[in-house]
Amino acid sequence: MITLTINDKEVSVEDGTLILEAAKQAGFHIPTFCYQPILSRLASCRICLVEIEGQRKLQPSCVTPVMPGMKVQTESQDVKEARIGVLEFFLSNHALDCPVCDKGGECELQNMVYKYGPKKGEFTEKKERFHEKDYILSPVIVKNSNRCVQCLRCVRVCDEAVGRTMLGPMGRGAHQEETSFLKSYMDCDQCGNCIEVCPVGCFMRLPYRYRARPWDLKSASTICPYCATGCRMDIQERGGEYIRAISKFGKGVNSELMCARGRFGFDFLNNEDRLTKPLRKKDDGTFEEITWAEALETIKTNFKLSSPERIGAIISARNTNEEFYLLQKLMRTVLKSNNIDSSPRWSSDAVSAYVTACGINEGGTSIADSIDVDTVLITGSHISDENPVTDYLLRRAFDTRRIGVIIASPRAMKLDSSAQMTLRNIPASDGTLLKAVVAELYTAKPEAFKGVTGLTKIKTLDSATLSKDCGVALDDIKATTGKLLKSDQISILAGTEYLRFPESLEGLVFLRDALRALKKDLKILPLLDRCNQRGAWDMGIHPAFTPGYEALEKEGLGCDRMVQAADDRQLDMLYVICENIAGLYPDAKYAVSALSKLKFLVVQDVFMSETAKLAHIVLPGAAFAEKDGSFTNQEGRAQKIDSLLPPPGEAKTALEVIAAIGRELDYGFGPSTADEVLAEIREATSMYREVEIDTARNDSALVKGKPAALRIADFLGKKRFDDVEAENKPSLPVPVVKVKPLSFKLVTGNHLFYSGTIARRSHTLRNLVSGPMVEVSVADAERLGLSDGDTVRVKGKYHEAILTLKSKKGSRDGIAFIPENFTEVGLNRFLKRGEGIQEVTIRKI
Amino acid sequence: MEKILLKNIHKEDSFKIETYLAGGGYVALKKALKERPDDIIQLVQDSNLRGRGGAGFPAGLKWSFIPKDPTMQKYLACNADEGEPGTFKDRAIIDNDPHLLIEGMIITSFAIGASSSYIYIRGEFEFGASRLEEAIAEAYEKGYLGDNILGTGFNLDMAVHRGAGAYICGEETALLDSLEGRRGQPRIKPPFPAIAGLYGKPTVINNVETLSCIPAIVEKGAKWFAAIGPEKSPGPKIFGVSGHVERPGLYELPMGTSAREIIFEHSGGMLGGKKFKALIPGGVTAPMLVEEELDTGMDFDSLAALGSMLGSGGMIVMDETTCMVRVSWIINKFFSHESCGKCTPCREGTTWLTKVLYRIEHGEGNAGDVELLDRICGNIFGRTFCPLGDGAVMALRGCMKHFRDEFVYHVEHKRCKVC
Amino acid sequence: MLTEETKTHIEGLLNKYKTRRSAVMPALMHAQKQNAGNLTEEDMREVADYIGLNPVVTNEIVGFYTMYNPLKDIGTYHIQVCANLSCSLRQAEFIIEYLEKKLDIKSGETTKNKRYTLTRVECLGSCGTAPMMQINDDYFEDLTVSKVDEILSNLD
Ligand SMILES: Cc1cc2nc3c(=O)[nH]c(=O)nc-3n(C[C@H](O)[C@H](O)[C@H](O)COP(=O)(O)O)c2cc1C
Ligand code: SF4
Ligand code: FES
Repeated sequence: MITLTINDKEVSVEDGTLILEAAKQAGFHIPTFCYQPILSRLASCRICLVEIEGQRKLQPSCVTPVMPGMKVQTESQDVKEARIGVLEFFLSNHALDCPVCDKGGECELQNMVYKYGPKKGEFTEKKERFHEKDYILSPVIVKNSNRCVQCLRCVRVCDEAVGRTMLGPMGRGAHQEETSFLKSYMDCDQCGNCIEVCPVGCFMRLPYRYRARPWDLKSASTICPYCATGCRMDIQERGGEYIRAISKFGKGVNSELMCARGRFGFDFLNNEDRLTKPLRKKDDGTFEEITWAEALETIKTNFKLSSPERIGAIISARNTNEEFYLLQKLMRTVLKSNNIDSSPRWSSDAVSAYVTACGINEGGTSIADSIDVDTVLITGSHISDENPVTDYLLRRAFDTRRIGVIIASPRAMKLDSSAQMTLRNIPASDGTLLKAVVAELYTAKPEAFKGVTGLTKIKTLDSATLSKDCGVALDDIKATTGKLLKSDQISILAGTEYLRFPESLEGLVFLRDALRALKKDLKILPLLDRCNQRGAWDMGIHPAFTPGYEALEKEGLGCDRMVQAADDRQLDMLYVICENIAGLYPDAKYAVSALSKLKFLVVQDVFMSETAKLAHIVLPGAAFAEKDGSFTNQEGRAQKIDSLLPPPGEAKTALEVIAAIGRELDYGFGPSTADEVLAEIREATSMYREVEIDTARNDSALVKGKPAALRIADFLGKKRFDDVEAENKPSLPVPVVKVKPLSFKLVTGNHLFYSGTIARRSHTLRNLVSGPMVEVSVADAERLGLSDGDTVRVKGKYHEAILTLKSKKGSRDGIAFIPENFTEVGLNRFLKRGEGIQEVTIRKI
Repeated sequence: MEKILLKNIHKEDSFKIETYLAGGGYVALKKALKERPDDIIQLVQDSNLRGRGGAGFPAGLKWSFIPKDPTMQKYLACNADEGEPGTFKDRAIIDNDPHLLIEGMIITSFAIGASSSYIYIRGEFEFGASRLEEAIAEAYEKGYLGDNILGTGFNLDMAVHRGAGAYICGEETALLDSLEGRRGQPRIKPPFPAIAGLYGKPTVINNVETLSCIPAIVEKGAKWFAAIGPEKSPGPKIFGVSGHVERPGLYELPMGTSAREIIFEHSGGMLGGKKFKALIPGGVTAPMLVEEELDTGMDFDSLAALGSMLGSGGMIVMDETTCMVRVSWIINKFFSHESCGKCTPCREGTTWLTKVLYRIEHGEGNAGDVELLDRICGNIFGRTFCPLGDGAVMALRGCMKHFRDEFVYHVEHKRCKVC
Repeated sequence: MLTEETKTHIEGLLNKYKTRRSAVMPALMHAQKQNAGNLTEEDMREVADYIGLNPVVTNEIVGFYTMYNPLKDIGTYHIQVCANLSCSLRQAEFIIEYLEKKLDIKSGETTKNKRYTLTRVECLGSCGTAPMMQINDDYFEDLTVSKVDEILSNLD
């Protein structure tokens, strides 16, 4: 601790604290422009100058660390004059077109001049002007350089956090303009972080420009509805139209960072195709509008007609914890059914195994802690596209703290540039790769392995064979092992590939147990692609466990088995909330045919999905900004969301509908408000009992552990990994890719601008992608004589599609990636239940 | 005085290694390589050699800040960015006696433990850059550079890096950024280059003239060097005289020689016998001196005592016909053109000053403009990131201190008082 | 398009430095030389690509340093006259006016036949031999009107 005085007040702060931060702690505000805590230090704007006794010149408080006994003045005459001087300089070449500037009313320059002066400027010369009209830099970014204050936050955020380096200061001195390469249209992440960090109206949102003044907007604090990073944002509306989403410095895990989906993808809320009335299917297959009373009556009747084991419910992972809780309560206590699940993309067994392997049931782990380690291993996730803001946070930490990063993924990604090692394994062989590492760890330190899960099996693992099976050179595996052995603190970030290919989890479990046995301080952070996936599991949206991961005596059916049961006519009634089974189940034909056999299908959704089209009753639903409640992100951080507007037309939140159905069936069913449900959740599970569900950034918002609730042994095909040798299911048969000239393994996941069903309804996001695409490695593209933008025919055993080709440098050869959510393509039409990865051919047309 | 720095430049084929060797070149290197590096640092400290790039920082002291850890990569960077208007001394050595500089650099590298060195030369000096490259190749060939120099086990590489037109790259940290392939903008200090310089490694940056003094110091000793000129800033100094004198050019004289002697004896007096008006003693940054101040010794401390500075020793002499408003405008235009744009006061302030000066000079001044200049200067001075912004103010204030009446006259009469 | 020769030059540069990035300035200069003093958008992209940088970086560099002429049309002979103080005291203004008249262009312009570009520049470090000018890579010092005539008539 260091003691100094600031404005004659004595303060003690941590060693190395900047004067600026020390002053803040002491309650003194020092204005800043170029300073941004997460970015590199510039000390260029000079607005933060302070007086330090004994120093001839004023010093920038944003880079000067405190020293013992230092005497600092932040409001002396000199400091005040310097501040006004700098502000006058800023204004001298500033456009001063505040009346038409988007930033007016929330402009840092405007606010600062208002607060500190100068009252009157003396600059009467001709101003430097960069251009006459605003110019467009991308489908979402518009630029006015005449307002720039040269803080370079835009340039730094793009380079240092986003990792794109799309912007630079062009020119010198007063002619310096921060813009793209020759001001050309930018092919970038379109995250708009440059807009968010800009203190003035230099970078602006194109969709928002001239649409509103900030004081006319109404806001609510909520959580982004896309991936499970759980970025906090303010959503804003004017005249009933959602108009802007903003992130704020110091708020949420993301602070001011967001990705394109978060910042621009909210406009699906305004989509004219929103469902607004309950609908009933007529005999001719078309829908007619009905009243809620009619709808509820029909639902009640059908529920009453079915026996418990013939009823199922599937809810998408975008709903609130309160909705999840109430739905499982309705299913389990009123309808007496455990047939409940959240995603058609993977099996409930995979979820059980993943939850235990990653220790999701053992409580939350913050991302800050997960990256404050020696080595981070990222596996089974295309993190740069799936969890963009997690990528941004990691990059900044990796680049500043020089943490060792190993990325294992078949496809290249942006974060590779921050990694020490990238391993390009064969798709679906993530577990095989980890086993190879475990084999090497075992060879290095066999004595440490006593009592490790699956030891009998680990002993027989052969790294050479495994290395061939996963397609990663043995040397790279050895290098990985070496890095892990040298690190004391290790984090594994494990993504959704483990859910798609759960056999890989065995490798993850082996590695986890091996590293723990080697006395490494290990953290595992799941990387999830739906905003409240973790919350869904926490709330018992699963056939095998209740809220807080209490294992059930008798397991119900998960989504996969429900679809199968429907196909076998063993299921009569299915209640679906916002989930698009027909669009995402990995065999479209099968799913559609199975769902069509149901006696009664009720779907609540915000849009008419492929699944809703098959329903007997369609209920209009509410989206995130229309709901109160909470989401739990991938860290296990429970975060509050507030509603801004009521849902359109007669639409209702799932919470209201579940409560209403509950009351129809059982007069005493409740509770019915988000707050009441939350109170009951706290009672029902200790995981949430003490959690501070608010906007807190600190760890008090992390869910608590309940270690004993689940054991790995109970899941994954009911077989223990532990010492069940020969008859244990072998790892997914992963054929070594023989790169036949035109044959590719088809893999899927999220697209940076496109994930889940709602993204399709965002006009802004649709504008960012030219159309459905297929991605291959640059080498493969060259081999096939194809170039970016070519139209190709992708043909599989069951389906074919016309797509635009994109090539990616550094990806593994022999892989074709198609994002899973393009309606036009229907990736799941390529797939066949039980067949795993499909092969496709690609030809130019 | 015996010439040290310019002794070879007029020789035939002065730039060739043979010529240099014949004149006793590389003898100092051989001597130095037999010493302990720390002893050379001590020697240079004892000599009181102060940096000739402008700031006058003691060279030996700077070297002594380099960490002694032998496993650590260290660098030497020679500052040959010579760009301060009025300065043209380094170019004479570079073009005509490159081996003097190279020898100085090898000894310096040995003293600080650098195994890699760069000469950062301003881009316009195409001729000098190729001279240096040829000379470096000769030195490699003769075994003065490369691996195991003269069988001592000392390794050193040397390369020329050309700038591309930016005065600010003469500032040592901007120079490093430029060498790393970036826009040359000053870095935050601390860390100082001696701790984290080029590629984040300890680096010494010295001016061409500073480094060229080293061979003589090694050869003739610290005492000899310290005895030339004033005690606190001794040694030979190249004065570059330009402007209104009969014989502009370079004059190597002891530090502390009076300005009057340099102008009226060595440079042949005022051009066409006109009356002396003002002297800029060390590149345009240095505040002007007037007639009464000409007896001042041209060295760091004497000039500082007058509120001016020796800077690079580039002396610009002006006669009675010179309009001081115009001079200020030209100087300020230079600074605003060369402002790297990083910090607000310099970027906006120098541009503003230039605009006001242009108006005044062109007969469009308004009442209050002179006070406005004062105010703008006040808002720049002491608040910029690097000394460039301060330098612009020093130049203007220096001029206004002596010739404020000319500025006022310009504003009031919309024309010049002297021309 | 970078010529093979330029690429060889750049390849050679890469050994000089610890990082590839350090070679970006000389590489751009080679590319500019190859096009007789002009730097095209394509060159900027190719140099960036060759060195492994985002094109933004080459754009930043060429905008910062005055010796690059991105997207300009510089004549065969680029005449740069120093107009800074020492030269100005020695009648540089007069030389510039003379050149403007002789070439029938304003400073900052290129003659119609693309033979000459005339630019006023800041100090070139040749103050003791003022006034002076630089034509392409060469310095011409102690200028007088007749010397200027002679120099121009001797250009190839
Ligand atoms: C704006 C500015 C320009 C400078 N230009 C030069 C220069 O052209 N040559 C030079 O040697 N030093 C220049 N310097 C000084 C250097 O920063 C540095 O002090 C010097 O190179 C150190 O060498 P020395 O100790 O041998 O003088 C400049 C400083 C500033 C602030
Ligand atoms: S004072 Fe500021 S703007 Fe001027 S050159 Fe230095 S850092 Fe750049
Ligand atoms: S905030 Fe400190 S200089 Fe900009």
